[in-house]
Amino acid sequence: MATWIKQHMPLFVRISTLVLIAVFLGVIRPEFLSVNNFINILRQSSLIFLLASGLTVVVLSEGIDLSIGQVLAFSACITGWLLKTQPMFVAIMAGLAVGSMCGLINGVLIAFIGLPAFVVTYGMMWMAQGAAAMFMKAEIIWGFPKAFRFFGARNVSGVPVPVILMFIIFVILYVILKYTNFGRYIYNIGASYEASRFSGVPIRKTQILAYTLSGFLAAFAGVVYISRINAVEAGIGEPLLLPCLAAITIGGISLYGGEGGIGGTIIGAVIMSLIINGMNFLAIDTYWHQFVIGAIVILSVWMDQLQSKKFQTA
Amino acid sequence: MRAKTLLLVAIAICLAISFSVPGQAAEKEKWVVFSVKNIVNPFWKACWVGAQRAAAEYQGINLTYTSPHKSDNIDEQTRMMEDIILRKPDAVVFVPVDYTAMVPTVEKMNKAGIPVFNYCNKMAGGKYEIYVGSDDEKLAYEMAKFVFKAVGGKANVIVQDGVPGASTAQGRHKGFMKAIEETPGIKFLTAQPANYNRLMGMQVMENLLQRFPKVDIVLAANDEQALGCVEAIDAAGRLKEIKVTGVDANHDAAQSITEGRLFASADYAGLVQGYLATKAAIEYLHGNKVPQKIILPVVIVSKENAKKWTEPPEKKPLPKWEDILKNHATW
Repeated sequence: MATWIKQHMPLFVRISTLVLIAVFLGVIRPEFLSVNNFINILRQSSLIFLLASGLTVVVLSEGIDLSIGQVLAFSACITGWLLKTQPMFVAIMAGLAVGSMCGLINGVLIAFIGLPAFVVTYGMMWMAQGAAAMFMKAEIIWGFPKAFRFFGARNVSGVPVPVILMFIIFVILYVILKYTNFGRYIYNIGASYEASRFSGVPIRKTQILAYTLSGFLAAFAGVVYISRINAVEAGIGEPLLLPCLAAITIGGISLYGGEGGIGGTIIGAVIMSLIINGMNFLAIDTYWHQFVIGAIVILSVWMDQLQSKKFQTA
Repeated sequence: MRAKTLLLVAIAICLAISFSVPGQAAEKEKWVVFSVKNIVNPFWKACWVGAQRAAAEYQGINLTYTSPHKSDNIDEQTRMMEDIILRKPDAVVFVPVDYTAMVPTVEKMNKAGIPVFNYCNKMAGGKYEIYVGSDDEKLAYEMAKFVFKAVGGKANVIVQDGVPGASTAQGRHKGFMKAIEETPGIKFLTAQPANYNRLMGMQVMENLLQRFPKVDIVLAANDEQALGCVEAIDAAGRLKEIKVTGVDANHDAAQSITEGRLFASADYAGLVQGYLATKAAIEYLHGNKVPQKIILPVVIVSKENAKKWTEPPEKKPLPKWEDILKNHATW
């Protein structure tokens, strides 16, 4: 029991942080503690989570994917464009295929040619951005069919569909990371690349799969994104990477790989949304918003370091 | 045999080129470079269309455009402009991605003797022949006044700001606040940022709808976030009680206005800015005098006139140059 608590300490710390923030906001502004507002916060976290979930898998294997925002944008542009002429199923599948393809290219370049992940995915970020811009020619596509808006803008018995999708993806990734060989390999590579090489972990295959998954999930998040805002343009991906990285670090996933889990990403995503929601509720001055988010990212990484040091010595 | 034919074709092409090149040089084509901030936002596309329509009114103008690939990137625009300076264009119609950081670049153009025609965001320094732009503060002020009048001067108002620190966002914030302070029946609720982004506009609005039970007006800093607000308010079933306004009058916003969803928008007139700035550059190259400053009049787009704004920029009417010089120019 004691070891179990110790093992899950970082998670408890994060959940209590979350509860503390919520209680604090609730005391100052009673309207904050309403069912509607909680649903609201969950709906807003779902997009961050969906996009950050693939990144989580990559980061756990000591990689990084800087291209997720732009891959989301590019695949969403394809989906949005096809929606005008093709059946919904075709449009969504094409978007998912484009996203997976971008991820696959990342994976192959990293695993087989051995280029550093941040260089490859940084390059992919530019390529996807360029491709999206060429494709859209600075147009906005807006007004999607009613059926397509199901993914981002509808509720099923009071629960927003993006939130349901968030929990489905969470469960799938939780099972994959915990109970499959692929999941174990991810953690192995993240913990020690050399050790896993010598113990016969199929590193290349695992890396390629991880980056492809990241591309696929970015495209999936793209479907939810454009369904939610009912429009798409080439620039939608640009501001997305930082909130996702923030959610991951706040969620206690080590940027050096091998530590943390997908549960952390959900908590991180909820904390991120909670903070913005809270600042809106408290009517914090415009200029403070960016400052607060930046400070929280630094604080969470710092806390993480302190914690891991303490556990190492204990 | 085949090699011989190839050789003949090659010679023919060389001859054709050598004849055509001096022919072009004799016409003395003028090269005008048109700069935009990014290649993804429809606003800059409208500016570029305006520039092309200006160039099409003259003979012998070679108009090309330049943009950072990464949106609004200072380093990239600096580098691109340095390359262009080396190639000596006859004129540069310029919008800085940052109105202070790009001053050294404009000074380099001054030094190289290339005339600069500044549009949209006014440079903090350097020498330019003209500035063409819309006044953000005035635009926001008139927009707010318009909607206050429409509700009879009594309302609870939320302001949604753009990117914190951006000069356009600051100007628009000032304009909104000035109108709010001047109108006694208006109750100001809060001003929150949504970074000119549709998703953020939507999410911030979702939060504020939970916080404030009674909202009548949302003044958004641009159309993107305004349309996000409309989605959020519609999802909450409160579109009948809340009027949302934007700034820019992009054609999807105009469409939304005709459908009675967005209430109104103020025209930032990218098309007209691009058109007038390029026209000024060409007139200057023809030896005509151009004014120091052209500030466009504020045009509010609402249900009455929105139909015209749903047209793509290629088809929208343009103002008369003489009329602009007479009524909206400072010499």
